[in-house]
Amino acid sequence: MNPLLSARDLTMVYPGSATPALDAVSLDVLPGESVAVMGASGSGKTTLLHVLAGILRPTSGTVTLTTAGGPVGVHALDDAARSRLRREELGFVFQQGLLLDELTALENVAVARMLTGVPRAAAEAEAAQALASFGLAGLEQRRLGELSGGQAQRVAIARAQVNGARLIFADEPTGALDSRTGAEVLDLLLAAVTQGRTLVVVTHDAHVAARCDRIVTLADGRIEDDARQTSAAARGTEAQA
Amino acid sequence: MTTLQLARLFARRRDGDRLAAALPLGSFTLLTAILLLVLGGSQVFFRQTGPNSGVYTLLAVVALTLLVVPLFTLGVAAARLSARRRDDRLSSLRLLGATARTVAALTILEAAATALAGAVLGTVLYAATAPLVGLVHFVGHPIGSAMWLAWYWLPLAWVVVALAAAGSAAIGLRGVVLSPLGVRTRQRPGTARARRAVVAGVIVVLAIAASAGLRSLGEVWGLVGFVTGLAAAFACGLLALDAVGPWYVRVRARRLHRRAGDVPRLLAARLILEDPKAAWRQVAGISVTTFVGVIAGAGLALASMQEASNRDEAWLTADIRTGVLVTLVASFLMVACTVAINQAAATLDRARVHVSLDRLGVPGTLLAQAQRRSVMSVLWTVLAGSAALSGVLVFPLVGAAVLFRPLSVAVVVAVFAVGVLLVRGGASVAARLVPGILARPERVL
Repeated sequence: MNPLLSARDLTMVYPGSATPALDAVSLDVLPGESVAVMGASGSGKTTLLHVLAGILRPTSGTVTLTTAGGPVGVHALDDAARSRLRREELGFVFQQGLLLDELTALENVAVARMLTGVPRAAAEAEAAQALASFGLAGLEQRRLGELSGGQAQRVAIARAQVNGARLIFADEPTGALDSRTGAEVLDLLLAAVTQGRTLVVVTHDAHVAARCDRIVTLADGRIEDDARQTSAAARGTEAQA
Repeated sequence: MTTLQLARLFARRRDGDRLAAALPLGSFTLLTAILLLVLGGSQVFFRQTGPNSGVYTLLAVVALTLLVVPLFTLGVAAARLSARRRDDRLSSLRLLGATARTVAALTILEAAATALAGAVLGTVLYAATAPLVGLVHFVGHPIGSAMWLAWYWLPLAWVVVALAAAGSAAIGLRGVVLSPLGVRTRQRPGTARARRAVVAGVIVVLAIAASAGLRSLGEVWGLVGFVTGLAAAFACGLLALDAVGPWYVRVRARRLHRRAGDVPRLLAARLILEDPKAAWRQVAGISVTTFVGVIAGAGLALASMQEASNRDEAWLTADIRTGVLVTLVASFLMVACTVAINQAAATLDRARVHVSLDRLGVPGTLLAQAQRRSVMSVLWTVLAGSAALSGVLVFPLVGAAVLFRPLSVAVVVAVFAVGVLLVRGGASVAARLVPGILARPERVL
């Protein structure tokens, strides 16, 4: 199977730093798999996510994303093109949803569609559908301050998926949630994988990693371990138990 | 460790926080320079001798009164920014066990110190610009050295600015929560209710009654009655504006929200609806000057149709016209500074959101664009509302001025246009800060 995302010899050195944050990292992410990226603080996992997602440009190495229009060399794109790629092809969920406080749940999701040129009415209709599919029907007009942490994170997941992104990047998506709500949020992210999406999740949480198809462990900017797991669903049940 | 010692310690730790320190300092500099220029200009009026000296004194008082609102708003914005920019250090102090009172005292002390430094710099700016303002003609001559204030005004202005900053910081702190986990703006629900419109309606009726009764008042009570009636009508108009302002802004923002077809418009409408009162207060100074500008502009345009009976009368008419235009420009300048400060503070407050949106692929300036649009939308709302209200109150005067003296009216309109551009420039500050935030995202995440 051809990889959806392919990284080769990625090196990332931040200005003013002598130590590379990533050191010759190569990684293939297959369509429909869930990949957990683990490692100690400072191991380079968030940097890896940012480079793979085109948020940062690597010092050297290549990142290739297979899109509907063919393979795209993410590392070679300029800022504007990488922004467009992130907006239209990728989905993101951060530790805190980082949604816009002033907007309602519905508007936060609809904005993602409007930014791709979809008219507001259609965008809001799609957003309402997305929110309903995440169990948020009836809460569309609530502002962020009126939602619980788990509900806000669901809004963020709906926003990440409403554009039909095939690849979702999540950075500690359950880090700010209690264990039960965190498990619910992870269920939603993994449900997206069963629907054919691909998930790359950076996490400190072994329970989260245990439910993914694959665990990539980083240490000092290098891949220390890359282990495929046999049955993520079964492991998920074990982890919850 | 005492609050004073803490303040000295903090004053040394400014590395990497230059923008945060420069913004309030710059705003106090501008505030002081404008204050001294206004005082210098007023002094020229107060010192007039001759048959119209009483009128000049009255005009100076009116101009100063008009400039109090935007000057105060600017002071509050500068002080509030001064308090907000220290959030990391203040919350760290709270985390280390400092009481909210100590932290508040430190904030007030720092705001006063920043204001004092800005006031001294502002005095230099005043000294640099006063010769230019001195070129403006009053009583048939350039103002020249009459703009210079006596030396004792300078330390007095410094003390007033520092005390005002301390007072404003104390008031501003009521709007933020100083917790060990950070400094956050206190959420206030928008309370611009429809009853404000009813109150405004009643006041407008009173104003119209006062205006209509001016002649009768003059006949019965003489000049004192006439001036009192005029003052009452003026005060009613201003009260009506303040009563209806936030409600009107909210109604317009709701309309903008309903019609918003793109993200910047949608966000702009929501930003206004978040706190219509704050949106109104930011540009409220303009409402007062617009109100006066329309009435005085129309009145002066018509007055210029009549041949002056003597030199003093001709000078008086010309000086009032100049005074109105200068007051308008000063008012717009202060509102532009206030907007710039508020937008800068809002942008820095939202640095984390800017970085996150950028990571989602959202164009970097989208939020700043929405912020600018929210300011300009309220500005246009306020301009149109105030102009319409004053136009209604003195409709025949305005109508006649437009018909018979279109050029004079055009000058006033041109000053308004320049003022709007000034405010737009102030509102664009936010967009200029975004690239700096995005260049160093690690500072905010």
